[in-house]
Amino acid sequence: MSNSAAPAASAPIETRLVYAHGLAALITLLISVAFGVTASIELLIPDLVAGHGSWLSWGRLRYDHTQGIMLGWLGNAFFAFLYHAVPLLTGRPVTSARLGQWIFGLWNFAVIAPGWVLVLAGFSQPLEWAEFPLVIDAFVVLALLLVAIQFLPPFFSRGLEDLYVSSWYIIGSLIFTLLAYPMGNFVPELVPGARGAAFSGLWIHDAVGLFVTPLAVAILYFVIPAATRKPIFSHFLSMLGFWLLFFLYPLNGTHHYIFSVIPMSAQIGAITASTLLGVDVIINVTNLLLSLRGSGFWRFSTNTRNGPSGLRACDIGLRFVGTSAVLYLIVSIQGSVQAQMSVNRSVHFSDWVIGHSHLAMLGFASFAAAGGLIHAWQRIPWARYDAALLGWSYWLLLSGLTIMVLDLSAAGLVEAHWWQSTAPWIESVRAVKPLWLIRTLTFVPIAAGFLALLCGLIIGPRGGGLKAIQDSIGLGPIKEIAPRLVSATSSTAERA
Amino acid sequence: MRRFLRMSYLVAGVGGLGFFAMSVLLLGVWPGRVLEQQIKGTSPDHPLPLTASEKRGRVIYGREGCAYCHTQQIRYLDRDVTRFGAATLAWETIFDYPHLWGTRRIGPDLSREGSVRSADWQFSHLYSPRAVVTDSVMPAFPWLFDGAPDRPRQEAQDVLAYLETLGRNRALAGPEGEARARKSCDCSDEEKRLAFGSPVLNASPSMPRRQGSYPKLSGSGDLVRGQLLYSRNCAGCHGIRGEGNGPGAAGLHPRPANLSEHEYTLDRLSSSLWNGDVGTAMPAWRDLPPQDLSAAAQVVRRFHVAQPEPSLPQDVLDLGSRVYAARCAQCHGEKGAGDGSAAGQFPMAPTNFQTQRPSLAASLRALRNGVEGTPMAPWTGELSEAELSAAAYYVRGFFRADVSQ
Repeated sequence: MSNSAAPAASAPIETRLVYAHGLAALITLLISVAFGVTASIELLIPDLVAGHGSWLSWGRLRYDHTQGIMLGWLGNAFFAFLYHAVPLLTGRPVTSARLGQWIFGLWNFAVIAPGWVLVLAGFSQPLEWAEFPLVIDAFVVLALLLVAIQFLPPFFSRGLEDLYVSSWYIIGSLIFTLLAYPMGNFVPELVPGARGAAFSGLWIHDAVGLFVTPLAVAILYFVIPAATRKPIFSHFLSMLGFWLLFFLYPLNGTHHYIFSVIPMSAQIGAITASTLLGVDVIINVTNLLLSLRGSGFWRFSTNTRNGPSGLRACDIGLRFVGTSAVLYLIVSIQGSVQAQMSVNRSVHFSDWVIGHSHLAMLGFASFAAAGGLIHAWQRIPWARYDAALLGWSYWLLLSGLTIMVLDLSAAGLVEAHWWQSTAPWIESVRAVKPLWLIRTLTFVPIAAGFLALLCGLIIGPRGGGLKAIQDSIGLGPIKEIAPRLVSATSSTAERA
Repeated sequence: MRRFLRMSYLVAGVGGLGFFAMSVLLLGVWPGRVLEQQIKGTSPDHPLPLTASEKRGRVIYGREGCAYCHTQQIRYLDRDVTRFGAATLAWETIFDYPHLWGTRRIGPDLSREGSVRSADWQFSHLYSPRAVVTDSVMPAFPWLFDGAPDRPRQEAQDVLAYLETLGRNRALAGPEGEARARKSCDCSDEEKRLAFGSPVLNASPSMPRRQGSYPKLSGSGDLVRGQLLYSRNCAGCHGIRGEGNGPGAAGLHPRPANLSEHEYTLDRLSSSLWNGDVGTAMPAWRDLPPQDLSAAAQVVRRFHVAQPEPSLPQDVLDLGSRVYAARCAQCHGEKGAGDGSAAGQFPMAPTNFQTQRPSLAASLRALRNGVEGTPMAPWTGELSEAELSAAAYYVRGFFRADVSQ
């Protein structure tokens, strides 16, 4: 056992699969953004596509937007990251490159592409985070099973002793998503009404809490020490955070149905779990931010090799990831607050929640996924990389996200105000239209940011990522830690 | 030591799975059992299941994403109950595979939408929402129609059938069902108050009612405010000049009233605005305060242009009186108050000529052509031209203008 954990760098990384999933992630991301912005424009110009058939109507675009973001963008980005991280975490290769091709094909060409088309053609199910029709769900479950077969055996064959926290998150996420997905997608079709809604509530939170969050947090815990070349602040806190997360997240579900007919004790249990979850995230993010001390994370210049204090400029992947940690803290505390009855009675059903979900998915999760992708990309010797474009991407996304979330939160408060009055319902719609216009306009920085992310990873010089590592942390430490990368660097240098 | 460590990871793994299982038990299975008990105790014995058409409509409702803007869940909160009606009980959604509760409200909650709107209004709204609700952001669904709001395909009819089921079973349960549910519901006093204490099951301010008090409107409303209200809420159907030819008019049967051809008393307008007109697409506007209704009424009354009235010889009046008594009074009432002996049989109230005076042209047109979408039939086959003119003139004599005017 003891010898199996040691030589972490010897296991090969399937860089082609990292690349393929990364590219698929970014392409499905841009398509999902297009779905989202078209839906938002249709709220301003509702008859935009009225004369052009049913395929681009608001409801269908709305379904495709969130399914594309969760499965297409985040799913592919997480898989890309797993192909990079699992061999490094376990010192063992993933199960099979050939299986990887199957997973890639299944995920993109049996789930996402046909799922999108079927939804637009009118075949879907009206369940949140489960809008793809049942036939697609079957392929999702199959793909998730293959993903588990692909990534879990390296952990188990290595043995579970002294696993780094990212490994725990990966194992937990892959197993629990496999369990939670069928619950959210199939059970409400079999259990009607209020009873089905209880399961739906569980899945709405599990989709975020057991699929997206653990993999995003795995990226945060992986990239921060890997990019700073320093151990994390506390392994104890990391494990405490992990177990609390997997204890508390599944218990949150019912907070989507507060003041409903679902038994009050279940509601109060979920509210309590939501409150404690905020505490868990404070523990996790404190640990992550303390791990970032001295990394130059807050110094945003990409040009200076040596800052005034002798610290080097921050690595762009690290910057995405560090920002993700901060956004994670904000969105989780917001979540704890809005689960409280006094807040929930006002803001529930309003755009406030749409702001919250964008802060979670576009903020926390997407910044983590982008950071993970960039980090993995830097370490593919043949991949192209343009640091300046990625710097632009960061600022565009951060500004677009900030404006959008503030704007939607304001819109939610405006709606809550009108709903509480006796004024006709339509007044609440009239009142938020200007804020919806601003939300639509945030498309410009956000889409530009994602486009810059894509371009930053497909144009620029080959091996540009290694130069970026050199510019930030320097190649010195790499020699000690990852001989694989150094040999790749020297071969690139020779070619250049 | 190694063995112990291995065991500890096994324990941890089982524990982790236990967390998930616990969440499903605590927040899925256990609430489900409680709800099942509650449903057993509170549901009427034979709630109506959905017909094939209603089921198809439900599928369309789901596929078009209706539930992503319209919730079907009235929460146990005063603000929900005041706006939409009694809080949703668990048994009300027992036929929902899958549930359509929703987590976002861009449009209003639809738990009790059945019977709030007329069929022609629903079709016009589905076909082109902004034709009837000027500032709506709802998507249009023209592909459910054959090119016009009054030519619904089967799919549109299915959607309407489904919408009409919303709240139906709760309404059918009646006072006895409510009383029984209240008694056997294992819920707190506060929950009981919100689920059963609402004065009306359906609090929609748009729901028309045939009878009911209405506020006294003032004859001098704020005209600027009135014009704003009229253009936002009324012009879609009644047209910007009140001629009954707004974009929403095309699909409505009967067509919206031509406000410029009629003279109305304030009470008549108040009654229509506050209670709506049952049997027509005219909804109630109980969510507007009386001063707003006064303002809108001002605008409506200004559409009417007084025409010089011809004075007809006595024999024509006598003829009109005879024709009216023989042919019209049965529905419109002896004194033209719309309260004839047959009035109650119709889906909509016959015109009350005391509170509403049509122009001579409008009156004659109604007699000659009938009024489409109402029981008013053409009389050309039954009455001579002279009799038609006499009756058309005669009915206008019932009008009793507001004293204050």
